[in-house]
Amino acid sequence: MHAYANPTRFLAIAKPLTPWLLGVGLLLLLVGGWAGLMLVPGEAKQGETARILYVHVPSAWLGMGGWTSLAIAGLVQLVWRHPLAGIAARAIAVPGMMFTALCLATGSIWGRPTWGTWWEWDGRMTSMLVLLFLYAGFIALTNGDEGQKQGGTLSRGAAIYALVGAINIPIINRSVVWWNSLHQGPSITLRGSSIDGALLWPLGLTVLGFSLLFGAIVLMRMRRIIADNRVAARLRRLADDEGN
Amino acid sequence: MTGVISGSGQWAYVAAAYGLTALLTGIVLWTSWSAMKKAERRSDALRANNRRGETPRGDRK
Repeated sequence: MHAYANPTRFLAIAKPLTPWLLGVGLLLLLVGGWAGLMLVPGEAKQGETARILYVHVPSAWLGMGGWTSLAIAGLVQLVWRHPLAGIAARAIAVPGMMFTALCLATGSIWGRPTWGTWWEWDGRMTSMLVLLFLYAGFIALTNGDEGQKQGGTLSRGAAIYALVGAINIPIINRSVVWWNSLHQGPSITLRGSSIDGALLWPLGLTVLGFSLLFGAIVLMRMRRIIADNRVAARLRRLADDEGN
Repeated sequence: MTGVISGSGQWAYVAAAYGLTALLTGIVLWTSWSAMKKAERRSDALRANNRRGETPRGDRK
């Protein structure tokens, strides 16, 4: 793992990988989105609104997956002090928050015609809203903290915050089992899926497409932080040279 | 059920969900890409100036 602690070595992989993730991700999204809107039939009970599944589920997956990655990065920074872990955590926060907001918004848009309400304070929706606030708190905490001044790493407090916030992930996952909810129960589990195959395959494409796009966005944001760090380091050296 | 919408009225909600997703994803994608390009151009220019022995005055802080 420490072999990639060197930003130069990381960039040698990240630079060619970014356009590939972006290109393949967008292609999968176009095909999956087109199939979800035009090709597959409407769902038997919910009708056309079930098509929102193809943007809602990937958003939920990336909102939760984003925080899980962010917490792992926080742990790696705390335990091994890997210099890229803090940079990765910072890079994940904004797209993670965006997908969490999208999950809430598309869920609300789905809920209005299906349940007859935009919002319900049940376990699933409330715990997802908590995740949105956790992201907002993390972004506020890491903007201008000591870690940012020290090459984009995370402060100890921000890394611990990321780890503690991860408690919410299993709560979101199990909320529809633990509490009564308007939200449907788990449709896709390790044992299989209750969604018919005819409706399921575009979901695979959009989940993969959004995941690749998420990866591309994280790499872009990591590259930006590394470039900013290099500029700051060079300017510091110039200032030191002039001072001597 | 009260307030449930069926039939062709559902398409407006589907369009809103897809449109919002495309818009927000596009904004985050574009801002991340442009910020990365700007930062990398600045870093490359500073390194090139350093090699030539020049000091970019605009970058002093």
